[in-house]
Amino acid sequence: MTINVFDPQSLDKCISCGFCLPACPTYALTQDERSSPRGRITLMRALQDGRLAEDDPTLREQSSFCLGCRACEPVCPAGVPYGELLEQWRDHQWQGRRVPLKALVLRIGLRLRAALALGGRLRRAAPTTGAAAPDAPHLMLGCAERVLFPNVSRSARKLVDGVDVPAGQGCCGALHAHNGDSATGRRLALRLGDAMPGQIVTTSGGCAAHLVAHLGRDRVSELSEFVSDSWIRFRRLDVRVALQDSCHLRNGLGTARAPRDLLRQVADYVELPSAGACCGAAGTYSILRPKDAARVLAPKLDEIEAAGLDYLVVVNPGCQRQLIAGLRARRSAVRVIHLAELLAMAAHPES
Amino acid sequence: MVPLAASFLDRLRAIAGADHVLWRPGDLEPYARDATPLHRAVPDAVVAPATTGEVAAILKLATETGTPVTPRGAGSNLAAATLAEHGGIVLSLTRMNRIKEVSGDELLAVVEPGVSTAALAAAAARAGLLYPPDPGSRTVSTVGGNVATCAGGLRGLKYGVTRNYVLGLEAVLPTGEVLRTGGRLWKDVAGYDITRLLTGSEGTLAVITEVTVGLLPMPPTSRTGIAYFDSLADAGTAVTAIIGSGILPATLEFLDQRCIEAVEQYAQLGLDREAGALLLYGDDGAEDAVRDTMTRMAAACTAAGARGIELAQDVTTSEDLLAARRCCLPALSRLAPITMLEDVTVPRPRIAEMVATIEDIAARHGVVCATFGHAGDGNLHPTIVFDPGDEAARAGAERAFDEIFHAALKLDGTITGEHGVGAAKRPWLEHRLGADQMALLRRLKAAFDPAGILNPGKLGS
Repeated sequence: MTINVFDPQSLDKCISCGFCLPACPTYALTQDERSSPRGRITLMRALQDGRLAEDDPTLREQSSFCLGCRACEPVCPAGVPYGELLEQWRDHQWQGRRVPLKALVLRIGLRLRAALALGGRLRRAAPTTGAAAPDAPHLMLGCAERVLFPNVSRSARKLVDGVDVPAGQGCCGALHAHNGDSATGRRLALRLGDAMPGQIVTTSGGCAAHLVAHLGRDRVSELSEFVSDSWIRFRRLDVRVALQDSCHLRNGLGTARAPRDLLRQVADYVELPSAGACCGAAGTYSILRPKDAARVLAPKLDEIEAAGLDYLVVVNPGCQRQLIAGLRARRSAVRVIHLAELLAMAAHPES
Repeated sequence: MVPLAASFLDRLRAIAGADHVLWRPGDLEPYARDATPLHRAVPDAVVAPATTGEVAAILKLATETGTPVTPRGAGSNLAAATLAEHGGIVLSLTRMNRIKEVSGDELLAVVEPGVSTAALAAAAARAGLLYPPDPGSRTVSTVGGNVATCAGGLRGLKYGVTRNYVLGLEAVLPTGEVLRTGGRLWKDVAGYDITRLLTGSEGTLAVITEVTVGLLPMPPTSRTGIAYFDSLADAGTAVTAIIGSGILPATLEFLDQRCIEAVEQYAQLGLDREAGALLLYGDDGAEDAVRDTMTRMAAACTAAGARGIELAQDVTTSEDLLAARRCCLPALSRLAPITMLEDVTVPRPRIAEMVATIEDIAARHGVVCATFGHAGDGNLHPTIVFDPGDEAARAGAERAFDEIFHAALKLDGTITGEHGVGAAKRPWLEHRLGADQMALLRRLKAAFDPAGILNPGKLGS
């Protein structure tokens, strides 16, 4: 019996070649086909074709164990849209009472615009400037970022000339889409698009990829993309830095050069071997599965400490939280900084 | 197949640890597939040992109980060689993935079977050494799997294939004895060459638990060029002329017209879409020598009627040109989801004739077929694509491949150059080997595996 959990055309694309295996962080942990992208697609097919029961424990475990980093997509010869399939899988797998409690709390909490606005004000994120100006680029504050790392939006505001910060912005819905509620994810993205008509600039790679999926590529810029196209002059800072890519920015949107080019302009840049690999934050993964998130992160922390860095630069709030926590636990001297903050230091010596 | 008894699973757990024995339906499902389209076989259990001792204990238990065992590396093979078609257990060797040694003094490396081919090549490169076999799946495939299938690659003509680099093996017989064959020596003729016999034995004779491979000094430079021809026959003339003039190029790959079209549609590399064939040629070695062979190969192509030639000026553009070949699989797999990639091989002078025959067969069965491959060693990859629900195309593809295999045999070729026989091509094996050799294969198999538990249904079983 076939049940329509997945878009059959997307599922059919996989040719089972296995080229995704070496790109997958959970496969690297286990060397087990079950926790590889190909293995998960085989599981999805078994669910779709009715070969496995909907409450099969392996289906439940593997849909949750996947980081959703989409590192399998750029290496896929057949162009399987794995991220979309994973969203469809979790929509089905985490219905009703099967949803992990922490995911449910996050899904509900992040929908509350008033709470986000209050949090942002209390934490002194970049102040909003009223309704969206018609021609200005709009700075997105994010949900987690404005509360956890308010200095990021303040820094970004200094970098983008004439940017406005429209009031009434909510969450973009990426976290809902990744946590089994893609319908709300889409609705929130469209609502944010309405609140900020025209060009949206975001300091979060994860939000950028989600917004692009629903609003289109031409309306959304991640900060490094936007600043690369601008005329800002930077001075060089006497610091050694490395980058942690945002998975969805790199694997979903293909943006990897822009942040590196900027870092090379302002600092002594070193490329970490695992710069493009997931840090384990993976949206809300580090909250839902902290132990696995720590296992994914551990080898990266060794690399960071061995590289003699002053700063590790991030382009996504999830990575920022994960890396700060990981390095702090090791009492590391390496500081974690958002690209916007480092660029603001280079653009504005007085700050 | 009778499902495995609970007591059997308990004994497996006692050997490999409970975490490394899988038995629930959802856990077995991912191991029911490898990279072979349209093939699926669910095992009764999966066990992932970490040591040679564990492998030996598992095999002994399997022989004692008559349980089939199918060894598996990364599952990237294209002939259903790692599917448990007779049930039983899949023996996954991916946890045995340590690089034990890379020796620049002895020009060799010692690795466990689950190390990926790319990881071995990278470790060798860090020591300034080259591991030449480079199968298309090298980022995924394991060294153990490469040895078990005698994997080939793009460098076959100049450097040979996996068997040319296997110096020694540690392998476990189905009855549990641990053998060490060959070793660290290039010269060693003591006894039958069991190392060579196990290489390409597709997990039917013994389970490989350690591999000693020979390495070469890394060539200091490499260059690549592309030549376009009106027809594959002209490209074939160029290949014959190049090799006839005493050059043994590192790269000599071709794409037929359909491949050029598909690659261009997919990647917009700026290839000449009007060309009937594309020849990718290249060499590696000392700078001066490479410059000389590249000039002579270009001249041979021009003399054979090449309509255009592009030469890479540096490593970066070399990579761009090689992309034409690397894009074949992604480009073809995007034409339709089921991508059947075969690997018949014919003597080098008969490539053009074989490709023409393939085109004719494909047309008669109304299937979409494109061919690319290794012009240097006659190894062709006719690729037929179709949609999953299209039963007529599927039947047409099966008939077309049957005729393609027979046509290759008629031209003194073989049914598989580098992918292996597996379950997928087993029906054609006797056509290639003859009844007497098949009987010998069965006797060999029985000598190694009296209970017939190792990868049943493949090769000599």
